[in-house]
Amino acid sequence: MTSPAVSTVGAGRVLANRVLVTLLIAGLAAAWLLPFASMSPNRLASGQSVALGGALTMWQAAGMLVLTVMLGLAALQRPLSRRLAHGVTLTASLALLLITLYALGDYAQRTLVERSPSARVSQGAAFWVIVFCCALAAIDTLQRHASGWITRLGYAALAGGAVAFLLASGHFRDLSIMREYANIRDTFSDQLLTHLGLVGAALGPALAIGVPLGLLAHRRARVRGTLFSVLNVFQTIPSIALFALLVAPLSALGNAFPFLAELGIKGIGAAPAIIALVMYALLPVVRNTYSGLKGVPPATVEAARGMGMTQRQVLWRVEIPLALPVMLSGLRIVTVQAIGLTVVAALIGAGGLGAFIFQGLGQYAIDLVLLGAIPTIVLAVIADFMLQMLVALSQPAGTR
Amino acid sequence: MIELQGLTKRYGDTRVVDDISLTVEQGEFCVLIGPSGCGKSTTLKMINRLIAHSEGRILVGGEDVTTLPPELLRRRIGYAIQSTGLFPHWRVAENIATVPRLLKWSTSRINARVDELLALFQLDADDLRDKYPHQLSGGQAQRVGVARALAADPDVLLMDEPFGAVDPLTRDALQVELARVHRQTGKTIVFVTHDMDEALRLASRVALLNGGRLVQYDRPAELLVDPANDFVRDFIGRADLGLKLLSRRRVEQYYQPAQGTRDATITQAATTHARPTWQVDADNRPLALIGGRLEEPATVRTDVNGEWTATPDMSMKEALSRMVWFRVTALPVLDDQGRLLGEVTMAGVMGHRP
Repeated sequence: MTSPAVSTVGAGRVLANRVLVTLLIAGLAAAWLLPFASMSPNRLASGQSVALGGALTMWQAAGMLVLTVMLGLAALQRPLSRRLAHGVTLTASLALLLITLYALGDYAQRTLVERSPSARVSQGAAFWVIVFCCALAAIDTLQRHASGWITRLGYAALAGGAVAFLLASGHFRDLSIMREYANIRDTFSDQLLTHLGLVGAALGPALAIGVPLGLLAHRRARVRGTLFSVLNVFQTIPSIALFALLVAPLSALGNAFPFLAELGIKGIGAAPAIIALVMYALLPVVRNTYSGLKGVPPATVEAARGMGMTQRQVLWRVEIPLALPVMLSGLRIVTVQAIGLTVVAALIGAGGLGAFIFQGLGQYAIDLVLLGAIPTIVLAVIADFMLQMLVALSQPAGTR
Repeated sequence: MIELQGLTKRYGDTRVVDDISLTVEQGEFCVLIGPSGCGKSTTLKMINRLIAHSEGRILVGGEDVTTLPPELLRRRIGYAIQSTGLFPHWRVAENIATVPRLLKWSTSRINARVDELLALFQLDADDLRDKYPHQLSGGQAQRVGVARALAADPDVLLMDEPFGAVDPLTRDALQVELARVHRQTGKTIVFVTHDMDEALRLASRVALLNGGRLVQYDRPAELLVDPANDFVRDFIGRADLGLKLLSRRRVEQYYQPAQGTRDATITQAATTHARPTWQVDADNRPLALIGGRLEEPATVRTDVNGEWTATPDMSMKEALSRMVWFRVTALPVLDDQGRLLGEVTMAGVMGHRP
């Protein structure tokens, strides 16, 4: 018996947040249809599915239900005000995320007590979908609300801190992926540092070469076409091919000049990886430097010259400050891209988190793959977030 | 103060500025005007070497401009452009201080100068100093742009269509203000525009350019009454030549003594409608016009209100416009206390030879 008032207004009036509704439906469908966890007798055997209902304790199930209902209410036009709904969404999605993580670890601890030591519990598809939906709901709400940077930073720190706390407390120790981690703990931090080192070693030269090239492209129209076509070619070479292409000339170089080989310039290892990463990074750096400078109003530059600024003064006092946000957006693209591409560099012996991924693929050990992939994703997300903040902070005060 | 000698700019084979010679005296307000592409902006920018000239010489203050490095030359010449070119990331005070900072003035001297300039343009220093350009109205931004050009107290000010992008009302106010600042500072100004009314309003000399050549360089009145050729006549606009002339004239040049009376009972003008009578109060403020309406008896009484009065610094064009609009043959001319100084009449408009 629907009331006439409800039946006459369209769906758009009842639902205030269609994204949230979609995410809720996806999450519920996944919880209903997909396995939440899987249980296998040993590391390599395929497991048997465990549904969400079977994995939760009573209070966990009740908590998830309450949070889901809260999110459902927040997505509706009434009874919550928009402001309140935003707050509820942010709180409930984070709480739901944490309960899901907690429940998985808890399930592993409870079940493995009575099993053989080689038995493994790993996360299933429904787990990933729910985590993903919670994260998206929070991100969407932050953007919808046009939240300030302080709010975003605080929220991210809270969420990151809570997850880190769960990890550090050893709550997940019985999960398959954490057992895998225990095996490689010694090499993990080395590879993580190698990964970051490769990214940093590529970004430095990319900026040192790319920014002046972008300036050149801005100043000399004739150079611009050639420069961009060359850089475009780099960008179109598949990354594995580029890494491979660099192996031959560099090993020849290393063989011809042994002192270079001692410096690390040889066919495999860090040198070809860094060179390839720099080549990929150049186009975005150059393009964003160029378009940032091009976006400075010509009248402003003319006024600066007309006032008697030297070319250097015009560049440093007017052009660079006004172009900085666009230039930093380029850095953001390049950083995220380099974090991803460095994974492939493991193939030519440069190390990094990619090493785990390829090792895991070789052994058909999915948990090892995830140990390489998840930290890479987290690194990329953190870098993206921090550079976004930097871009916002670099907006000249007068144009913010 | 500024001397162009055979100034020429070539791009390949085209001469965008072709053999221009003219002298701008100290304190002169010289307007470069002409149709689009006539070379007026190019000429202006060659003076401060934003564009290099191909042939000829430019002297500023008797010195060839090529003897100085271009940056040092430009710091000695004020420069204001269309759409202001204010630096969006600097506050108003920092914008105005651009050239003094390049010249490494002391902070206290810069601050004093900024306040002085804001006052000169009747801008509220406390309110505006720390604002960013995007927080200013169009008129304020344009005033700041001109203030910035004047910051280091240059003898010469170059202005490239500075009021081209503001609405007509604001432009009007800015023109009045620029004329006042010019009178107060006595700077030598070279001003580019394509708007003849603006040129006639501001210029003490007009240089009319066409196709890169100087067609006529004269005082505005001479340009109007003695145009060099048909191009000049066409460019000024034949149709409202008379009105253009009146726009150059001010009421103080035209007004004549008025007949005032304090007799409150007066019902009929003493003479014909050509010389009406003004009823005034004890302070000589006009209350009503007796007569002075075409095709009305000389007894008709019209109460004076603020809308159909004139002041000595009003243009005659505006005075005439008010007479036509309010259908009176005379306007009272008031001083700043509202007292009757005299009158301008319809017949008086014709009374002067241009």
